[in-house]
This record gives sequence, C-alpha cells and structure tokens, in this order.
Amino acid sequence: MEALAYQSNHRKTAALLSIIPGIGQLYNKQRIKGAIFLILAASYFIVFGNLLNMGLWGFFTLGTELPRDHSIILLVQGVIAFIVIGFGIVFYVFNIYDAFQNGKKRDQGFAVTSIKEQYQNVIDKGFPYLLAGPGFFILIFVVVFPILFMVFLSFTNYDLYHSPPARLVDWVGIQNFTEMFTMDIWRNTFVSVFAWTIIWTFTATTLQVAAGIFLAVIINQKDLKFKGIIRTLLILPWAVPAFVSILVFSGMFNDSFGAINNDILAAFGIDPIPWLTDPQWTKVAIIFIQTWLGFPFIMAMTTGVLQSIPEELYEAATVDGATVWDKFKSITLPMILAATAPIIITQYTFNFNNFNVIYLFNEGGPAVAGQSAGGTDILISWIYNLTMTSAQYSKAAAVTVLLSVVIVTVALINFKRTKAFKEEGM
Amino acid sequence: MKKLMAYMLTPVLAFGVLSACGPKDTSGGSNNQGKAEGKPDKLVVWEDTDKSVGLEPAAKSFEKKYGIKIQFKEMPMLDQQDKLRLDGPTHKGADVITTPHDRVGPLATEGLIAPLNVSDDITSQYTDSSISALTFKGKLYGLPKSTETPVFIYNKKYMKQAPATFDDVYTFSKGGKGGAPYGFLANWTDFYFAHGILSGFGGYVFKDNNGTLDTKNLGLTNNGSLEGADYISKWYKEGLFPKGIIGKKAGQTIDGLFNEKKVASVMNGPWSFQGYKDAGIDIGVAPMPKLPNGEYVKTFIGVKGWNVSAYSEHKKWAQKFVEWITNEENAKIRYEKTQEIPPIKALMKDPIIADNEAAKAVALQSERGVPMPNVPEMAEVWVPAGNALQLAATGKQDSKKALEDASKTIEQNIKAKHTDK
Repeated sequence: MEALAYQSNHRKTAALLSIIPGIGQLYNKQRIKGAIFLILAASYFIVFGNLLNMGLWGFFTLGTELPRDHSIILLVQGVIAFIVIGFGIVFYVFNIYDAFQNGKKRDQGFAVTSIKEQYQNVIDKGFPYLLAGPGFFILIFVVVFPILFMVFLSFTNYDLYHSPPARLVDWVGIQNFTEMFTMDIWRNTFVSVFAWTIIWTFTATTLQVAAGIFLAVIINQKDLKFKGIIRTLLILPWAVPAFVSILVFSGMFNDSFGAINNDILAAFGIDPIPWLTDPQWTKVAIIFIQTWLGFPFIMAMTTGVLQSIPEELYEAATVDGATVWDKFKSITLPMILAATAPIIITQYTFNFNNFNVIYLFNEGGPAVAGQSAGGTDILISWIYNLTMTSAQYSKAAAVTVLLSVVIVTVALINFKRTKAFKEEGM
Repeated sequence: MKKLMAYMLTPVLAFGVLSACGPKDTSGGSNNQGKAEGKPDKLVVWEDTDKSVGLEPAAKSFEKKYGIKIQFKEMPMLDQQDKLRLDGPTHKGADVITTPHDRVGPLATEGLIAPLNVSDDITSQYTDSSISALTFKGKLYGLPKSTETPVFIYNKKYMKQAPATFDDVYTFSKGGKGGAPYGFLANWTDFYFAHGILSGFGGYVFKDNNGTLDTKNLGLTNNGSLEGADYISKWYKEGLFPKGIIGKKAGQTIDGLFNEKKVASVMNGPWSFQGYKDAGIDIGVAPMPKLPNGEYVKTFIGVKGWNVSAYSEHKKWAQKFVEWITNEENAKIRYEKTQEIPPIKALMKDPIIADNEAAKAVALQSERGVPMPNVPEMAEVWVPAGNALQLAATGKQDSKKALEDASKTIEQNIKAKHTDK
C-alpha cells in the first residue's frame, strides 16, 4: 500500500486537530495561516452566532409568540442562516482538507509551503476563482436566496388569514401541492390554464422563429435590391418598446372601434370578428401579436449566422444539381439551428412566462364560464392574480415551484442535447 | 473518510443544540399596550399622492396645539399597505395611513391596522354609511376622509338636463341622442358599476345582518339580481351599448369616446371629472336616474379613511390626530383644497357642497348607495361577477345561468381561500 511509504502520521493528526480550525495548520508549523484560520473561525461564531441561533430557531418554529415574532422575517433570517452555515461548512471542510494535505506532504518528507509560496500559488492557479469570487458571492444572495425563500414559502400556509402581525405562519408540508390536484376549484383552473400555457408557448414561439428565419433567408438573397431599407423596416417591431406596441394593438383589435375590424377587415368585406370577447379569437390575436413582436430578433440573429455559412457549400450543392429547397433543407436550416438552438430554446422559456403580452393585451380575458382564470391567462398571469387579488402567497409560491420544475426540466433536456453547449472545449 | 464525515457533522449538531435556545426575552408582548403612552415628538403620516395640500393646514394647527411634529409623506394609497408590511416590523413605518375602505377587512385580518376607540359624539358627525364602511367585525378601524360613488355625467352639448329616469335615458338612446353617436354608455360588465343596477332591482352581494355581512349568503342569484342582469344585457343586445365596451378595457374605451364627444352621457365616478373637463367638455353632473321599477340605483360607495398602524408606538396620539384632521373644520379646508367630498353630515348641507352641482350630485348619490363590502371575501366576487355579466351581455349564456355559475365559483373560492382555519 502506498501508505507504507509514509514515514510518519502527521496527516491524520493534523486533520484531527483541525476540528478546531487552524490548530492543524499550527501543528504543521504554518503559523500565520493557522492563526488566520483560528481568528476567522472565532469571528465567524462571534459575528454570526446570534443570527444562526435566531435564524435556525425561527426557521424551525416560524415564531411562537405574538406580537414579538414575525414569521416571515424569521423565515428570511432562517434562509440567511442556512447560507451562512453553507459558507461555514465550505470553509471548515477546506480547513481539514488543507491540514490533511500539508500533513501528507510532511509524511512524505516534503517541506510544507511557506506563506509566500501559498500566496503565489493562489495568484497563479486560483486567479479565475479569485475574480469570479465576489460575483459568485453576490449571486448567492440575489439569486439563490430568493429562490430558496420562495420554495420554503410554498410549504407554509402564508395567506391573508395566516399573516403576521395578526397571526403566525406555520409549516404545512406539501398541502399546497396536494390541494392543487385534489380541490376542484384549483384543479379545474390549473389544468385548463396549464394546457393553454403549453399551446401558447409552442404556437407563438414556433411561429415567431419560423417567420424570423424565413424573412432572414429572403432578405439575404444576393440579387435582392434595397436590402438595407427592407431590413430596417423589418427590425422596427423590435425597436418600439413591446408594451407600447401591445397597448396599441389592444386598441386596434377592439371589437367595435378597432382599426382591424373597422378599416382592414371591412375593406375586404369581412364581418367584424370578436377579437376581445371570444376566447378563441383572442388567442389567435395574441399569438399573432407575439409573432410580430418576436420575429425581428430571430431574423437579426439568423442574418448573422447566414453570413458565416461558407459559399463553397452552396456552390458544391449547385454542382451536384441541388434545388433551392434542397439547399435550404440540407445546408441553411441545419447550420442555423445548430448555431442558434440555445437561443431558440430560451425563446420558448421566455414565452412560457410572457406576462406582458397576456396581461397588457386583455388582462387574461375574456371570461370563461366555470373557472376563475380568464380565457387567455397563462400560469404566470394566474399567479399574479393569486398574489395580488386574493393574497394566496403560499399557493402562488406552490404554482411557481411547479412552473419552475417544468421550465427547468425542458431547459435542461434541451441544453444537454444542444451541440452548442456540448462543444465547450473547442 | 468516515471519520472526516463525522468531524464535519459535529458543528452541524452543535448548531442543532444552539437552535433549541431561540430568543431569550420571553417577557411577552414587547408592545407598550396598557402602559401609559408618553407624548411622542412626532407622528409620521402617509397621505395619498397630490393630496397633502389638504392636510397641511390641519397638520400645522395640530402641531401648534399639542406640540407634536407631523411628518407627512405622499404615496399612492395601495402602495402604503405594502410599505407598511415591510417597514412596520422595523418601526420605520407610518403611524397614520390612508386606505380605501374596502381594504379595511383584509388589513384588519392581517393585523396591519389597529381598531380605534372613538366616542359616539365623534362618530355621529359622519354619515352612517361611511362609518359602517370602516367597521369590520364590529370594530371601527378608521375615520372617514372622503367619499365617492359613480354618478350620471352628461355632455351639455347633447343633453340639456339630466333625465329623471332610466326609461328617459333609454328613449333618448333609441331616438335622436341629441345628435351624438351614442346616447348613454356605462361600464356594466364591470361589477363595480353594474352592482348599482343589480342592487337597485333588489339584488345584493352578501346579506347584511345589521351591519355584519354574512359571506355565506350570496344574493347574486336572487330575483332582483337576475332582473338587473337582464336589464343590463338589454342595453347590449339592442345595440345601444356597442360590443367594444365589453370587458376589461371598457372603462378606457368609454372615457375615450366621451372625450371625443361621441357620447351624450356616461356613468362614472368623481375621479373622472377633471379628465373630462381637460378634454374641453362642458359636463353636467347629476345623481343616477331612477330605474324602471321606480327605485334608485344603489351604487357602490367608496370611503377613503384614515387608519392607525398596528405597529405605531403612539396609537393614542395617532388616533387623536385622525380625529383632528377629520373634524368638521379641517374636513372643510381639505374639501376646498382637494375637492374630495367628506362624508360629514353638517358639511353635506353646507353651501360649499350644496351649491356645487357635481359635489351635490355625488353627495346625494352617496346617500342612496351602499358601501362596498369591506370583507376580504369580496376579492373573490369582482372577477366572476364581472365575467357573468360579460357572458350575459355577449349572449354566450343567459343571465340566470351566468350568475348561477358565478355564484358557485365565488362560493368555492371563498371556501378554498377564506376558511379561517
């Protein structure tokens, strides 16, 4: 065994001594490092002791006494306490590992590194981590913290009737999730809203992607004149802020006063269409608007990809007698999709949560008999209503968790299958 | 490695032991309830945006009389609740906030506002409906600042004077319309406006048992409500109301049409007066005309009140300030500065209101209306009830079926979201 080569057992002693951070390093004769570790560990407990105590107690009990305890503030402190403990554990494990490694060096008869060498080492090897460190640290508080808070919230009964300062909030396990599927009112709405969300995501996004690619290929034809003007015109929907466009569309689609029914359709002798009062027509209108809003981005991106497809490929294809359609199918499209797939996927996830279009166009309406959400409400706008009108915070958190599960799964599967993410090492 | 794991777990266990401790001061309620309140140096007051001009004189006189500094800050009314929710626990919040009365129930349930202990000779200054609007579960949670309710607004170019009955409005709309494209428009697929009609025919939302609302007794399917809904659909079905004013954008559309001088008359609240005047329209304002059954339209009354924060450390003085700014003298000053009508009995008869056409119309209509229910359950009513009226107006369902469905949805939602476990 390799261990036989060791002349002493410093590594185990050092690791064992490091139960109190720094002692192992002192044992390894790394005095300054040991002192720093010891001070860090001591200050950790002095500074965070109260937060950890209150946070953990608060997290598990969510408060016991009114009006002293505010459950939500305690929950927040609890989540922060967990993050702080996480940092502590990382430091602690590193401390033991460090003592063990340096002990091993002594066992093998090498000299332990001096503080100066250590410094050099960090600067050389750890430079990327050093740079990313502060950003990562902030990321934990602005990204991880709210997500954790929201996830924990979905396991509580936080709503109007269990809300501080009048009442305490309690842990209720998975009750919010089970009710979503067992109580009629929740299940009916959830199922129909979810179904429309899926249909909306696929139709609207696919259409906007298809339109974008189609137009990009058209304006990229060599013998097309006035390319600049056409491209500028087609980019315009992107240039105008989306919410302005949506509000203008909402007026244009008005059943009795809108320009679409009164001027455009009337000119062709078509009867007015109930755009805002019939759920089916509202859905058509919303999908059309999203296509209009979304295609310029895809078009701009595809135009970029088209520039980079080597001309030789097309020449070779022409020599082989390929038709225009063959060239598009076998050269252009695969090249575009390979390069833009990750962005196209994010377009799907974006539309899955596209609150603006739904809410600004018709506020999720029109009405549908027998359900509380409107005919075009998607999950995110329904969550908005749950939180804003009925103060069902924990239910809304539960729906958000379900929604995130869907998005994360789809995104993960797709990203894993996308070449652009695999060829990281290139 | 096992050993390492064990070492790592030790501190976790240590935290576990610590966590059993929790806060050390279990001395019960940190609030100074029961103890004599000292006189504070200042009180923080949050007022609605652009309205503090009406508060300034009262604040000055209060400062002078009691030597307590009043610090006020303007903030949209609905933002105040969110702000109080966050700032309250850290004692940075206001002592006095202002809210529309339909938020009183939810806020009291949540425990953000404190009940007041006001003597009868103070409450008797105000109209009964405004006091009942601010009362929740038998406790008074604020004093009224202003009242508003939808009234009949007409363009004097098309209509010489307000009609007395809805039958007149109907004939006017069917006939010449005074030259305007539309005779009368109202956002009757919004339950806020439609309620006046339903309840004028005898409908109600929650049964009123001497001041407390029975949220288990819904009145949306009684004969009065059905008659009201049928009457509303009649206006849409006969084409007097165009389809374009159905649904959530209807309010904006109606305002737009009225501003473009395409409508002779509308039903809207006092908040719209200024916009119409700015659009250059010579408006006349009157109480709502009588319904075909001879009853008044029982519009929803909204009361804006002053409330004391439950987090305030000086509730007694905060209440004193609320009483001060809502007394007759200060309410009159506020009315002159802001044109918001205070529901004070004596002022309703005062020439400054009685001789002002618009103010008088709002004050009169307020007496005929009913306060919007302030119970939290009301949140479940707006959307389904509005939807039912929409479905009836577009002819997708008859009004009986639509209201029955809505009523069922409301009952289910109340059961799902408002069971006080």
